[in-house]
Amino acid sequence: MNVAILRLALAGSRSAVGRLAGIMAGVAIGVCLLLLLWGAADGLAQRDARGAWLRETGGPAYQPPVDGDPHAASVPIPLGPDTMLVARPAEHFRDSVINRVDVAALPDTSARIPGIPAPPKPGEYYASPALQELIQETPADQLADRFGSFAGTIGNEALPGRDSLIVVTGATESEIRSSNGGAGLVSEFTTNPYGDNALAYRTAFLAGGLAVLFPILLLISIVSNLGAAQRRERFATLRLIGATPGTVARISAAEAAVPCLAGALLGIALSALVRPLAAEIPVNGTRVFIDDLATDWTAAAVVAAAVVLSAMLAAGQRTLGAGTGPLGVTRAMPEPMPTPRRALPLLAGFLCLGALAFAAGVPELRSPWWEIPFMVGGFVLIMAGLVIIGPWLTLLVSRAGLRFARSAISVIASSRIAATPSATFRSVAGLVIAVFVVSIFAGGSSALRNVGVPAAVPGVLQPASVRTFIDPAASPDAVDALATQVNGTAGLHATVAYGSGGYGTDESGDQIYIEAAEAVWLGLTEAPDAGTAVLDAGFLNAWNREPVVASASPAILPELTPFAIIVHTDAAPESVDRARTLLVRSRVAAGPPMSPLDDAATGSTRLVAGLSALAYVGMFVAVSISAISLAVATASAMLDRKRILGLMRLMGMPASSLRRIVTREAAVPLLTVLLLAVGLGFLVAWMMVTSLGPAYKMDWPGADYFTALGLSLGIGAAALVSTFGLLRTSTGMSVTRFE
Amino acid sequence: MNAQAQTAPILSARGLRHSFGSTEALRGIDVDIHPGEVLAVMGPSGSGKSTLLHCLAGVITPDAGSVTYQPGPAVGQSVTISSLNEAGRSRLRLTEFGFVFQFGQLLPELSALDNVTIPLLLNGTRRKDALQRSAELLDRLGLQDNGTKRPSELSGGQAQRVAVARALATAPKILFADEPTGSLDSLAAENVLTQMLQLVREAGTTLVMITHDPRTAAYADREILVRDGAVAAGYQVAP
Repeated sequence: MNVAILRLALAGSRSAVGRLAGIMAGVAIGVCLLLLLWGAADGLAQRDARGAWLRETGGPAYQPPVDGDPHAASVPIPLGPDTMLVARPAEHFRDSVINRVDVAALPDTSARIPGIPAPPKPGEYYASPALQELIQETPADQLADRFGSFAGTIGNEALPGRDSLIVVTGATESEIRSSNGGAGLVSEFTTNPYGDNALAYRTAFLAGGLAVLFPILLLISIVSNLGAAQRRERFATLRLIGATPGTVARISAAEAAVPCLAGALLGIALSALVRPLAAEIPVNGTRVFIDDLATDWTAAAVVAAAVVLSAMLAAGQRTLGAGTGPLGVTRAMPEPMPTPRRALPLLAGFLCLGALAFAAGVPELRSPWWEIPFMVGGFVLIMAGLVIIGPWLTLLVSRAGLRFARSAISVIASSRIAATPSATFRSVAGLVIAVFVVSIFAGGSSALRNVGVPAAVPGVLQPASVRTFIDPAASPDAVDALATQVNGTAGLHATVAYGSGGYGTDESGDQIYIEAAEAVWLGLTEAPDAGTAVLDAGFLNAWNREPVVASASPAILPELTPFAIIVHTDAAPESVDRARTLLVRSRVAAGPPMSPLDDAATGSTRLVAGLSALAYVGMFVAVSISAISLAVATASAMLDRKRILGLMRLMGMPASSLRRIVTREAAVPLLTVLLLAVGLGFLVAWMMVTSLGPAYKMDWPGADYFTALGLSLGIGAAALVSTFGLLRTSTGMSVTRFE
Repeated sequence: MNAQAQTAPILSARGLRHSFGSTEALRGIDVDIHPGEVLAVMGPSGSGKSTLLHCLAGVITPDAGSVTYQPGPAVGQSVTISSLNEAGRSRLRLTEFGFVFQFGQLLPELSALDNVTIPLLLNGTRRKDALQRSAELLDRLGLQDNGTKRPSELSGGQAQRVAVARALATAPKILFADEPTGSLDSLAAENVLTQMLQLVREAGTTLVMITHDPRTAAYADREILVRDGAVAAGYQVAP
């Protein structure tokens, strides 16, 4: 390539410098976000791998009964020099889950727990820094008394994130073996963070990542084509002075490469600068470590090279395709018109999710082998389908708009959209995808919120009550002493429930007995006035939602066995945690204390709430990028048409009419597909929720969703308004008269 | 010519001066243009003729001097264009003036017919009526079979006739044409020019036309020569 010609092409006027700066800034933002996304994908995997050991349940701690003798007692497998006994009782503080690992090991065990030098001795504990800070800030009777004495902190290499609440407590072998059969023998902790759900987790994050990746790539594609019309004019001049089409294409590629390379380098630096800020975003309850988001130089080089090369190829190809001749563009390049075939991916996605919803009611059809690929595939197909069908729908709406147009503004805007539906839709596609993904999360989380939130219902264990089963080996005196201690604590009241046999024994039966006078503390409205009341033992299940009725019983409580203790609280968070602490530290419990409140803090509810929060962050990022894309695309379209728009103003069209044309050109494709995106988002959520089972029902999304939606539209509108200044100046009389 | 000289000018400029930086484009031009007159403004490149047209049409405001528009004989009907604000001048250009440029003035995404309707719609005409009026104009210009075509599908001469139709759609009092045939071959140029002149003469529209070409200028009732920002010949201000 002739260096002189290249220099001529790159040397620019003020507007050319501005255009190059625009490309550079857009690419820098895109590369920065790509690297953060790469870092996040990598970092989340690292985070989950560091926390994998918390999933370890170990092997059996007992020999199975001898074959053919069902009444034979299980024989404990003894602790060895390379094993430890591990239990993972549920532990809660306020509305947070604490990952508690109880261990018992021989003094000279070679088994190791990640993050600590040796297993803690009985009565000692190791805690994550975040939990230790919480312990120090909280009165001991609400938290610290559950664990014993502090032995040290758990190292970062064993923590998922900075806010992880993890405790490893030392216990005796007998204490752990008596803990409701939940103990296992461990010689080495697992490094697999997801178990059988690995595919589902990875694909869910992949789908989410794609939703953010798409607007980023769109931004880079839009900014690298900034000012195409002016470039074509300059290329025509080069053709006039002897450059071949190939030379011009290579110049175009080189011209794209320079600002893209500068932007990519800037983006790499920018990603390092904003990494600490990005690490402040909580993902599923904890912020990640800053280093988790770091990418190595290979990743940076790959991203930079890919962006620059693809921008060069696209620019060269576009220039060749435009057929720039010595007198300008020699052949018109009309956009290929979208056809109804664009609906196919969307329909295919619906078929996938429809099959899932149908199979939910047919148990024999259900299998994760096809359900997971269908769910993820359906989601990706619908997301891609929205982008693919968007131009066709935009075309249909614009044609209808043109048919019924009454004003010059609607005729001009509708004609422009009808002539370039793909380019017009591209400028808002990112916004559409962001809204679609967040609508799914909002719909899905509304269903799980319904499941998780407990309500005070007569005949059901009260939400702020805490109960624990009693170890059959515990003496009735010890149980009485615990009840007395609870009753002596402000805001708490203990009720002891009795059974025909101890908890976990064959004699226990399925009914529990209480003093009738205690019924009112348990929220049992239908109960005898005095004597003994009997009720279904299912009442003790924290997840039970079916009211039970207490009836009179001739049973005499002292003749029965203490089965469970239920602590009624005044619902103050401090009281609930005092109750938990008292039950945990008592030596009579056969398992961890449970409360209906715990449901809200555990399982899929919390996971989905965490993912919803992450989805809103993703939406904000995607919307912000899309807003930049919209502004750039609008500005680019304006610059490409500045001559004709300027002449329209010269002929007397008011500047306000031009603003309304530009606004309509963005609003029509956005509103056409936005409602579809919202509707499809909730439909997809409904299909996914339905496939989970009949217990899940969708509800209206929370106010946060509508706020996010309004904010997205606001950001889009602000992006559009920001281009009005350019519209005014680029079509001003003093500019147009020289066109 | 005499009859015209006796009527009040529809457009009158006095002492027009305008500079671009240190370059003086207009150096005190006086000009009167009469209703129904076809005036050719000639001059070499850089002489100031386009600047003169832009000042007369209210596209730019002169640094000094005034432009007065008098659409009818009644007292109080005159408007000093040079003292209007941008919105006022835009309204005037939209309702009273029409424009034809050398090239590239049609909206590329609109059909020829829709292009012609735009000024009518901007003026508040119903679309149905606008389409009817536009179709009539295209018929008059021999473009009855080209209404649905987009500008890229028209020849240069056809596109220029569409531009003429658009400029005349609102029945302007004055039509400003800046090198209207500059990008056309001689046959197409003659075709466009004769049809444009026929329409403006029938409607009694005043035409101010900038041209380099003496053959084009020959179609005018009167011509003035602008050189170095001043009227060099061919014109005398009416008393």
